[in-house]
Amino acid sequence: MSTRQASVHAKWIIGQVIGTKMKKTAKVRVTRLVLDPYLLKYYNKRKTYFAHDPLEQCTVGDVVLLKALPEKRSKHVNHELEEIVYKVGQVVDPLTGKRVAGKQYLEPLTESTEVSLTEKLEQLNITASTPPSVS
Amino acid sequence: MPMKGRFPIRRTLEYLQKGEVVFKKSVNIMTVNYNTHGDLSEGARKFVFFNIPQIQYKNPWVQIMMFKNMTPSPFLRFYLDDGEQVLVDVEGKDHKEIMNHVKTILGKSDKVLEAEALAKMELSNPANFGPKRYFLRECISEVEGQVPHPGFVPLPKEMTGKYRAKLAAASDE
Repeated sequence: MSTRQASVHAKWIIGQVIGTKMKKTAKVRVTRLVLDPYLLKYYNKRKTYFAHDPLEQCTVGDVVLLKALPEKRSKHVNHELEEIVYKVGQVVDPLTGKRVAGKQYLEPLTESTEVSLTEKLEQLNITASTPPSVS
Repeated sequence: MPMKGRFPIRRTLEYLQKGEVVFKKSVNIMTVNYNTHGDLSEGARKFVFFNIPQIQYKNPWVQIMMFKNMTPSPFLRFYLDDGEQVLVDVEGKDHKEIMNHVKTILGKSDKVLEAEALAKMELSNPANFGPKRYFLRECISEVEGQVPHPGFVPLPKEMTGKYRAKLAAASDE
C-alpha cells in the first residue's frame, strides 16, 4: 500500500540538527509539547526527522526550519531544509540584524561617528620631544 | 491536601480551557526567545510560565518551541503557511499585553469562535436518542416524568400486558 499523495502530516517543522554524517541529509530533532494526562503539565517530546540538505550547509547544533516535500524522497526523508534559523555560534538577532552571543551584541549597535584617537592626535600636531632623562 | 508546586492552578483543566488564543489555521509554528534574567524579559518569562500551556491546549497541532538566552532582547516568532514569518517584539511588555497582542494579530476573533461553537452544537441534536457515546440519552424512559423501564420499577398492574389481555378477554365474554 503506497501513499504517495501527501507525504506527512507536518508541513512546516522547526528543530535542532543533531547529525550531518549522511550525504546531503541532516538529522533533525524536533520537540513538541505533549500534555501528561495525569499531571496536566506539558513536557517536550522528541522526534527525529531526516531532511534533505543539498548544499550540506548545516552543522550540528543549528536550529533549522524544514518544509515537507510534496513526495517522499526516500524511505525516511520526507522534508527538505528551508532555512537555517539560528546558526551555531553566529546567531543573528532578527530585531536589529546584528550578530549576537547570549545577552551581548558582537557588533556595535550604532555606527560610531566619533573620530578615532590617532586621527585626533594628528589634528593636534604634537611632535615627539626628546624623552626626559632618568635621574 | 493542596496541589504540589508553585501556581498549581496552571495544571487544572479549567485553567487550560480558559485559554483565549485560538490560532488561525495558517499558523504552524510558534517560537519564543527569552532570557532567564533581566527585567525586560520578565513579561516574556511570565508569558511562558502562565500562558503557553493554555495556548498549546487550545492549539494542539501548533509546534511551540522555547529558546533561552540566545539574544539580548526577547521576541516571539510565528511561522505561517507559505513560509511567511511574523516577528513580535516583547521587550518590556506585560504577559497580559503579549497575550492580547497575539490574540489580535493571529488569533481567531470572538465572533468566529462563537460561530464555530454554534456550528458544532448544530451537528449534535440533543433531541436524538442513541448510544451513550454519540447521544445524551438512549431511551425515552431515562427522561424524568416518563414511564421507567419495568426492569427498574415494576409497572402498575393496569399497564401490564397480561392484565390488559385478561380485561379484554373478560369484556369479550
